[in-house]
Amino acid sequence: MALFTSILALRHDKRILRLPPYLSALCVIIGIGWLLVLPLDEYSRRTYISENAILPGQVHTYFGGSEHNVFRAYRHEVHGLIDKGVAERSERLSAIFHEQNLKVATQHYNYTVSNRTIANENVYAILQGPRADATEAIVLIGAWKNMADEVNNSGVALVLTLARYFKRWSLWSKDIIFLIPGDSTIGPQAWVDAYHDGHDERYVESLKIKSGALQAAVAVDYPAGPWGHRYDKLHVVYDGINGQLPNLDLFNTAVHISSSQMGVGSVIQRMWDHKDTYKDRLQTMLRGMLSQGLGHATGPHSSFIPYHVDAITLVTVGNGYHDEITLGKTLESLFRSLNNLLEHLHQSFFFYLLLQHKRFVSIGTYLPSAMLIAINFSITAMALWVKSGRSPEPIANPASTQPKNPAFKTPAEKQKDAKTAEEEDEKKEKKDAPPRPTTLIEKNGSQSIHPTASTQISERTLLTPLLLLLTAHTIGLLPLYTFNNWHAPALPALYITTANLTTLLPLIISFLLFWNFPTILTPHTLCLLQSFSLLLLGMFLAALATLNFSLSVIVGSVCVPLSFVRRTRHVGLTAAQMLGLALLNPCMVVQMGTKLLGVSLAQVLVQGAVGWHVWGLWTQVVVWLVWFPAWLVGAVVVASGMWE
Amino acid sequence: MLSSLFFLLVNAWLVGAAASADYHERLLLRPLPQDTLLASFNFRSNESAAAFEQQNFGYFPRSFGQILQHAHAKELHLRFSVGRWDAENWGQRPWSGGREGGTGVELWAWLEADTEDEAFARWLKLTNALSGLFCASINFIDATKTIRPVMAFAPEGQHSNASRLHLLHGTLPHEVVCTENLTPFLKLLPCKGKAGISSLLSGHKLFDASFQTMAIDVRPTCEEGSATCALEMEQTVDMVLDLARAKRPKDDPIPRPLPIDQLECDTSKPYNAHDSCYPLNKGTQPAWTLEEVFGRPLKGACPLTGQTGDEADNLCINIPPERTVEVKTSGEVSESRLVADTLRCYKLPTGADVDLVLPEQKMATDLVRPKPGVFAARSINGHGQERGSIQAVISNPSTTEAVEIVYLESLPWFMKPYLHTLRARLDTTAESPIKETYYSPAVDRKRGTHLELRLRIPPASTLTLTYDFDKAILRYTEYPPDANRGFDVAPAVIRVLSPQARDHRGIYVRTTSLLLPLPTPDFSMPYNVIILTSTVMALGFGNIFNLLVRRFVAVDEVPITAAGGIKGRVLDKAYRLKALVLGG
Repeated sequence: MALFTSILALRHDKRILRLPPYLSALCVIIGIGWLLVLPLDEYSRRTYISENAILPGQVHTYFGGSEHNVFRAYRHEVHGLIDKGVAERSERLSAIFHEQNLKVATQHYNYTVSNRTIANENVYAILQGPRADATEAIVLIGAWKNMADEVNNSGVALVLTLARYFKRWSLWSKDIIFLIPGDSTIGPQAWVDAYHDGHDERYVESLKIKSGALQAAVAVDYPAGPWGHRYDKLHVVYDGINGQLPNLDLFNTAVHISSSQMGVGSVIQRMWDHKDTYKDRLQTMLRGMLSQGLGHATGPHSSFIPYHVDAITLVTVGNGYHDEITLGKTLESLFRSLNNLLEHLHQSFFFYLLLQHKRFVSIGTYLPSAMLIAINFSITAMALWVKSGRSPEPIANPASTQPKNPAFKTPAEKQKDAKTAEEEDEKKEKKDAPPRPTTLIEKNGSQSIHPTASTQISERTLLTPLLLLLTAHTIGLLPLYTFNNWHAPALPALYITTANLTTLLPLIISFLLFWNFPTILTPHTLCLLQSFSLLLLGMFLAALATLNFSLSVIVGSVCVPLSFVRRTRHVGLTAAQMLGLALLNPCMVVQMGTKLLGVSLAQVLVQGAVGWHVWGLWTQVVVWLVWFPAWLVGAVVVASGMWE
Repeated sequence: MLSSLFFLLVNAWLVGAAASADYHERLLLRPLPQDTLLASFNFRSNESAAAFEQQNFGYFPRSFGQILQHAHAKELHLRFSVGRWDAENWGQRPWSGGREGGTGVELWAWLEADTEDEAFARWLKLTNALSGLFCASINFIDATKTIRPVMAFAPEGQHSNASRLHLLHGTLPHEVVCTENLTPFLKLLPCKGKAGISSLLSGHKLFDASFQTMAIDVRPTCEEGSATCALEMEQTVDMVLDLARAKRPKDDPIPRPLPIDQLECDTSKPYNAHDSCYPLNKGTQPAWTLEEVFGRPLKGACPLTGQTGDEADNLCINIPPERTVEVKTSGEVSESRLVADTLRCYKLPTGADVDLVLPEQKMATDLVRPKPGVFAARSINGHGQERGSIQAVISNPSTTEAVEIVYLESLPWFMKPYLHTLRARLDTTAESPIKETYYSPAVDRKRGTHLELRLRIPPASTLTLTYDFDKAILRYTEYPPDANRGFDVAPAVIRVLSPQARDHRGIYVRTTSLLLPLPTPDFSMPYNVIILTSTVMALGFGNIFNLLVRRFVAVDEVPITAAGGIKGRVLDKAYRLKALVLGG
């Protein structure tokens, strides 16, 4: 009982209110520190094949011999189509598939994004498994152009050769679809949308022939020209749209087959020279997180993953001694493994961070870090909520064992205290110089004296802060709409304007409100506004962490200062805070990010619009409707200090 | 068009050759485009109804006949199928689809019974007996997989007491048809695969086919104007062999890349060189022989078949007249050319091997390939674990004639269709194609959905039929115990009512089966829970059991050990030794 009352009394302890900023900071530090220990051996695991049915690398591969001659011929054929129009290209590719006795169809797509027309054509052929019943299919993709906009000459030729080779086998238990999309990211999306009947018929043609439920997809990217190119390693790309990942078993199978069976090294996340040191592992993980956080399409496979079709892309990199036959054998072995699947890939992990091609961290291990970062906002929000309920005047600490006013002490205590805390008391009494008003409370005949401030009820006015918060979130819709629909050439200019405008926006808003409605921006309202904003941010990020961990961590990390900025009358402090916040403006962060990564801002913006209209990308929504409003509210709260 | 006409004549000829003898068999070969070959085996035996009643079975297999009598089945149709018929390339189905089943096993029968319950009890008897006979899971056709079709099937035989007959229909789309089903099938034949055309049937080739269906049909036939009826049993096997695959030797079935010197290249390509070879598309009919394709020789005719007239022509090949066919045999073979020379039939000798040799040949005329009357495809749209929609696209390629069809869906109970979302659209007119609907909704765990629609498709039109459905959540014991990819939905059956069929078999088209992925729980989790609970139980039980059975004794009650020192220890040892020896 005594414990209970002392805990209750703790509620009023002044120290409790001083604690949250430290607690928040601790959460952030642990959260980020958590990420840093993940690459250590103790916190990560070696990958393993979880699904027994796959049996990777257990089959002998027969691709080779005279198939190489056929491959070279097809490579010449594909090379001859590079300068030709889309229609002629589709016709010729269809003809080759047709000669192999496969069922062929084409699909036209025509998107209008940022006032720019993206039109192209997909060609696909279905190999009906002789023993299959049209209920399942696996896809082999060779996009006409790869992510670097080079013609995937050898990749497409390899798909054609493998189609001819696979057709001769009797053992396929699933249909195999050979897909040659017009490009690497939009064509596959159009195709997979139409396959699941989730397409808009204004932009994308419906598929003429279909097979069964897609079980897996493998894309191959090998842009060597008609005279070939010997590569060194296979780059396994696995990030899907919105940071969704394929089943780890598929990735492991590909890595296992390429490295153990074929002797081709595999790399991930563009870490061409991974030495398996702590630094390399961390770098791989951070690159993976960045790619996952951005959520853009990283290859032809990306569009398949949102439909729960596990997919990866194999990209040839470097100069070495492996040729197209090794790649063909890798694909043959991979397809034989996928052919073994009895059920949809489900055994292994869907949420993981890879540190190198054979080491990963599973969700249970890494999730706490994003959660801790998200919780930091919730803690501050709660502290601000409690603070908003307190009277603005300071109250003496009633739970203190050392009452500051010696008048309340018994003579015995006085004597005791006099010796031990004489000096302290003197200092404190100077601070507490004006004695605070007190109130006498009588109940059931007992009396007690309390500081007046603690007995007064300070009412929270919720409507104004809630309306302000809602406005802040609504403002985010404006840039979301404009950036996704503006003309492509004007996008960078629009961006610079938005960046300048948003930096000035907090000052303008707080100034306008301060001069026109001085009653609105009271410290009380601002405190509540910040509290709600942080609460919402914390909730959003915690929810997001389960969907796209990396995006949650990235947004959470750049928002961290928002839980430490406060309104202050100190001009210098306000200016410093404003400067810091201006640097953390989402627009500024994105711009600095593009500079650091060495990509063009215009490209990022155009890709963002493509993502919105074609891929169903959610990153912009998070930026403009979660991050931007939180930043705006924080900045307005700080800026309001300028005008007093 | 000309080839279609020929085909109709072929059909008419084949049907016209209705047997008067007791046993008859025929193999019809028809090369299809894309280097494939359709082989249709047909075995037919008759027994008079009176003899059958007296259990005098003759050529009719006894084991099968007794099952029919036991279950009071008057007419029965059983199908085992694998693969897909590619109507676009291969044209019309063998027997116009009348001897074909959906993927897996399909069974329907007219049973004689007074009440529906009695009919169902007999149906269960029938399925269980057939299950044993054909080594198939036919016994899994329970009430949830059984429907009573109204329009989609008509009896093929002449029944005297039609009012007491009940039609029941069941499907097993998930059943994998394999060698163990072929062996009992062959055993029903009088020559049992030892002689006659059935000697060509081997599991290796049959189950490597791109399309394959085995059918057993029993129907009563009564000659017009006479009271004598007979029971006809027809067994058919249709298979589409990929010639390139089928010709591979049995001991080396691996499709290794050809040696470079055997690869035929298109030398007209500019890049053609010793290391680049564009595969030559010769546009010729490939060479093949019967023995190569079926992997074993044709061992002459079955001696039990009729030896005169049409009956004796056991081997027919349906090819343009210009194609060369050479017959290799030690016996005597007579050839007859029919139907404007597009059909060549051979009378096989008894006891001598026969082989047909077709050389590689460049042809001026097309293959005999009649067009189908109706094209149909069905697929599941949407994704996710909650709902989906079914889309069936049926088109009428004829430019002049409208077709009238019956569309039958038999859906499992865990797939819950919404009939109000059923839409049938025609691309040429706004008129509704639905003329009649029969619908019997599902009852959870008791009965599946049964939907029959009578539809009319105008000439050159495509009908798109869609409806939405919900996926049910199953109890965890209702999932199959082994690894599975989802649940199969039986193929839709389409019966063409008009234009009318030219024979008693009817015209049918079946779509492919569908895969329905249901929300599947993580089964390893209950497993973990069970393990954990068992551990806790074991620990608790161990402790309590220990407390219950152990006898607690105070220290001073322990005998002997009271004495300390060396003497005590020695005494103790002696005591134990004594107890050990005397068993105390």
